[in-house]
Amino acid sequence: MSARRWRLAAAAAAAVVSTACGSCAGDGRIPVVIYSPHGRDQLTLLEHAFEAGRPDVDVRWLDMGSQEVLDRLRFERVNPQADVWFGGPTTIFDRGLRDSILAPYRPAWARRVDPRGVGPDDAYFPVYRTPAIIAFNSRLVPRSKAPHDWDDVLAPRWRDKVLIRDPVASGTMRAIWGLMILRGMRTPGDTAPGMRWLRRLDGQTRSYTLNPAILDQRLARGEGLVTLWDLPDILISRAKGMPFDYVFPRSGTVVIDDAIALVRGAPHPDAARAFIDYVGSAEAQLLAARKVYRLPARKGLSPDSVPDWVAEVERDMVVARVDWATLARETTGWMSYWDRHVRGSGATER
Amino acid sequence: MGVLLALVLAWLVVYPLLLVLVEGVRGGDGWTLEYVRAFLGRATEWRALWASIWISLATVALSALIGVPLAFLLARYDLPGARILGTLVALPAVLPPLVGVLAFLFLYGETGFVSLLVQRVLGLTDPPWRLQGAGAILLVHAYSMYVYFYLFTRAGLATLDASLVEAAASLGAGPRRMLWRVTLPLLRPALTGAALLTFMTSLASFSAPYIFGGGFRVMTTQIVATRLNGETELAMVETVSLTLVALLALALLRGSRADDSLAGGRKGAAPAAVPIRRPWLRVGLAAAGWGLAVVLLLPHLTLVLVSFVPLGTWTIEPIPPAYTLQNYVTLVRDPVRARPLLNSLWLATVATGAAVTVAVAAGILSVRRRVPAGRAIELLLALPWAVPGTVFAIALATAFSVHAPWAGRVILVGTLWILPLAYLVRDLPLTSRPILAGFRALDPALDEAASSLGAGRWRALRRVTLPLLRPALMAGASLAFVTAFGDFVTSIMLYTYDTRPVSLEILGSLRQSDVGVAAAYGVVLMVISAAVFAVGAERGTGG
Amino acid sequence: MSAYLEVEGLTRRFDRTVAVDRVSFGIERGGMLALLGPSGSGKTTTLRLLAGFEQPDDGLVRVEGEDVTRADPVARRFGMVFQHYALFPHLDVGENVAFGLESRRVRGTELARRVSRALGAVDLAGYERRRVGQLSGGQQQRVALARALAPEPRVLLLDEPLSNLDPALRERTRREIRDIIRRVGITTVLVTHEQDDAFDLGDRVAVLRGGRLEQIGTPDELYSAPAGAFVAGFVGRASSIPVQLLGLANRGTRVRIEGAEWEIDAEPSSNGHPLGERLLMARPESLRLTPPGPGAVPGTVTARRFTGPAALFQVRTEAGATLEVLGQPTAAAVGERVGIMPSRRAGGGIYLFASDDR
Ligand SMILES: Nc1ncnc2c1ncn2[C@@H]1O[C@H](COP(=O)(O)OP(=O)(O)O)[C@@H](O)[C@H]1O
Ligand SMILES: [Mg+2]
Repeated sequence: MSARRWRLAAAAAAAVVSTACGSCAGDGRIPVVIYSPHGRDQLTLLEHAFEAGRPDVDVRWLDMGSQEVLDRLRFERVNPQADVWFGGPTTIFDRGLRDSILAPYRPAWARRVDPRGVGPDDAYFPVYRTPAIIAFNSRLVPRSKAPHDWDDVLAPRWRDKVLIRDPVASGTMRAIWGLMILRGMRTPGDTAPGMRWLRRLDGQTRSYTLNPAILDQRLARGEGLVTLWDLPDILISRAKGMPFDYVFPRSGTVVIDDAIALVRGAPHPDAARAFIDYVGSAEAQLLAARKVYRLPARKGLSPDSVPDWVAEVERDMVVARVDWATLARETTGWMSYWDRHVRGSGATER
Repeated sequence: MGVLLALVLAWLVVYPLLLVLVEGVRGGDGWTLEYVRAFLGRATEWRALWASIWISLATVALSALIGVPLAFLLARYDLPGARILGTLVALPAVLPPLVGVLAFLFLYGETGFVSLLVQRVLGLTDPPWRLQGAGAILLVHAYSMYVYFYLFTRAGLATLDASLVEAAASLGAGPRRMLWRVTLPLLRPALTGAALLTFMTSLASFSAPYIFGGGFRVMTTQIVATRLNGETELAMVETVSLTLVALLALALLRGSRADDSLAGGRKGAAPAAVPIRRPWLRVGLAAAGWGLAVVLLLPHLTLVLVSFVPLGTWTIEPIPPAYTLQNYVTLVRDPVRARPLLNSLWLATVATGAAVTVAVAAGILSVRRRVPAGRAIELLLALPWAVPGTVFAIALATAFSVHAPWAGRVILVGTLWILPLAYLVRDLPLTSRPILAGFRALDPALDEAASSLGAGRWRALRRVTLPLLRPALMAGASLAFVTAFGDFVTSIMLYTYDTRPVSLEILGSLRQSDVGVAAAYGVVLMVISAAVFAVGAERGTGG
Repeated sequence: MSAYLEVEGLTRRFDRTVAVDRVSFGIERGGMLALLGPSGSGKTTTLRLLAGFEQPDDGLVRVEGEDVTRADPVARRFGMVFQHYALFPHLDVGENVAFGLESRRVRGTELARRVSRALGAVDLAGYERRRVGQLSGGQQQRVALARALAPEPRVLLLDEPLSNLDPALRERTRREIRDIIRRVGITTVLVTHEQDDAFDLGDRVAVLRGGRLEQIGTPDELYSAPAGAFVAGFVGRASSIPVQLLGLANRGTRVRIEGAEWEIDAEPSSNGHPLGERLLMARPESLRLTPPGPGAVPGTVTARRFTGPAALFQVRTEAGATLEVLGQPTAAAVGERVGIMPSRRAGGGIYLFASDDR
């Protein structure tokens, strides 16, 4: 009797394993694996749209932070699993380039984007532009009372009302931090004014949240009123019903070039190239702009086809001049210093 | 045979860690102590390490303060509903790591139910507290880890020989003296075991300090921050430092043989439950017990509640304004979203089966045949326990991303097998602890009897040893399964498209602010885990 | 013509101890040998060597002329009854008994028939579906016996079969075991530290001490002609006292014992020097109490214990030795000064051994 039970348990276990593994094998389509921080909504959208035009390709994506993409590709260098790295600031792609995990590919739309965002030797190309913004809870803060520039966030009214996404873990935040340090520089390498500014911001900060979901949740529930974040995420959350609004800092914001690249040793390079070509096409750029609030990197889209919000953004946005080379070179050191010496030290200063 | 098993285990458990050690002292060109020096020279590193240590010690103290009295109360006194209560208070063990922490936020966060309630009742304008920093971490730790003390103490009390207690009473020992001189010393193996487990779990804990730490850093979050910042080698050194602390703790406490408490042989009859005669005391204690159970269940209930909240509808209201089944429908309808659940099921099943097999083999070799390599085998099996999951993930990813068969390294990164392997390593201590203890408690004469009755090794194992080990097998297997099933910290580094597990799907939903779907996954995870535990406990003890 | 079961020079060493030291013996088919010895003398180890659970460092085990020294327990086809029975707690009585038969591929009705026959043989017919834990100690003992006998082993091994039973049950169970084994006619080796068990169950008894075989023989031989002081003291009661061997007398041997001179009916134990120090061992019934006087060893009665019609006196001699003497209950009182003489009754009971024999 007990022997029968054992056999039953073993059979059940075998069944679980085999049913799961039965679906491991594909359905004959060419799988393209994409590592991306863009999130389920956007990835599903592009997956379906692309597959509609290429029924022989099965787009598979794994959703993870852009730093994780880098980490993962580094580990997998010997046995690449991914075909495409889709998303993340070009600064991180630069690190990937140094770790030789990228393969050069010049997409069909290569000439349509700003060449300043293109990686050396065609290693990566920008697909979206992601501006940093100041966001706030629109139910609790009227637009007129919201901070309108970076320095406004340091005003006493926002003391303990600022929520910050953990800057070490986020490409957007790293870019904002870099901007703050760069714009404070009077002589090259002089980070002191920027760090002082960040220390004051730290004094205003209610908490650093390590997860965008929790940031959204806390901002929506009014646990904090203001945050520094990126435009598409705020627009998406707003579209989903969150009480969010944003302003472009008057003195100019940093606009991150969000890139795409072919992975070196990609198992299915041809399909991967096709996907990259698709993402930068006018059709896909407009789709992403309309459905998931991605600001196209592609120039020359016909004005009546782009959604209104894009036009609005182009009108309101002030872009700061940023020395990207310095940023790429120095950010690691700056972040490390900030993490060790500035984080948590603002409260004692104020 | 013994040597072979020891070698395989060393290859799986020690070798990857050694490789990490090597990475820590190797720069781009040759050997360097640069990163070690960088580590030693930074006050923040020391602060993080010290924070890890004191948080873990405080967690042990707090968990013991909750778990031990609770176990005494429920095991020794005859309270109304003590049986159900006994099960309920063990439930924190099935709260999935990521969403469990989230549930705390919804409860005790600045706008959480409990916080708002307290705020209203006291008429405060500001939230009564902030769920942040060391205090918040300790709260979450104590909540989730007192279970170890509770379970170990209960098991210890159950195997405590009543005659010893009676003997002490007959020698005139009062209740207080009895507790300090007889009961607690007899429970020492159980208590040391629980303390060690709690310390290790707390040292390795990631989600709680990650979400609630704020500026407060422990080593696990420090490692992640360093890695995210691209300082890989420094992260390796940090990893090594954390491992050393864990090994030190293991070495210190192992001297007192913390084994054999959970599945140890029951020699005498356990003392009968003491009836409480004074009615008001009885009612008071029962009420306190049930009150506690409610508090302990609040996170679970919160998670269930949140899983019914449609996206974006719950903002500044204290209670969700709308409810829907949509989150669950999403789970089952979309095959792409149902896959992670299946993945986790088969991954956990494979890892559990392998871990049980290894533990049984170790039991046969080390306890039964007393092979010379036995001590090494047991140490290797206990080791992964002392090594935080993040560390192991890094170590495995490092070791198995190089093709060098002569050095025992093959490419497993990016394949289907790295994740079951990682789960297996993490499961080894969980299965081998009870199973080795079970082997020790088993009369070796039974095995000899079988062979003198003409049963070959296989038949003796199948018909005698395994059936007799069933409680230990079940205990180990259910613990291993649940751990692998909900694993997050190891998976996040090693999963592939084909093996993406539930926890990563939860993380993905959270990244999309899809808290409802994340909670729905969490509820499914919780229910399956609870069911596995229940089956394990019932099959383990029932006739 | 060699014995059915033969053991030659069997040796087993553990780290520091030699648990079994060059032990040799043989048993005829159907014979019953009892291994007797104090705790730690190597009895269990010897039995485990026979069963194949331990591997000898040296020596041979043969059964029916076949060398099984290195054969594993399964191949030997020896049955064993363990000290704590080792019944399988998760199986019922019938399944326990069937276990060995199933190993030998006995199936179906034949299996059921043989299980019930085995249980019938130990007076437990109809107990098949009982759980092992519900049985009394004696019943468990018999189930263990039935289980060991059911597959019809070549040799039956019993480890301390009676040590777990209370004294009242002990005697009865001993008789039952003996009857069952006699009826089956199986060659048996049993281990015990109780002389009564050994003498009652074994047709021959082997006395072990420190891993060595001291003497092997029938109970009679062991009692009346112990090969050494150890056997004399371990088998039956005997007290010892150092003496001087003076020489041979016409009817035995002359010794000086604490100033008195005795003529005793004992071999002078001529190993070593012909004259000088010897150890005298005397069974209580071979000594008698007299008033103090010439020829008697003087001493003081320190204790008196009644054993039926006679009493056992403990007498402390002036040199400090203690002798046990059987006598009339009224022969002396505690504290009284008495003399001790050899009993007048002829025929043994007093032995001389080399003085370093103990
Ligand atoms: N497995 C073992 N390891 C080490 N020493 C042992 C072992 N088994 C028995 N011994 C030693 O061998 C000697 C004989 O033991 P044993 O055969 O059990 O004696 P007995 O059964 O007569 O009491 C003892 O000194 C005992 O300590
Ligand atoms: Mg013994």
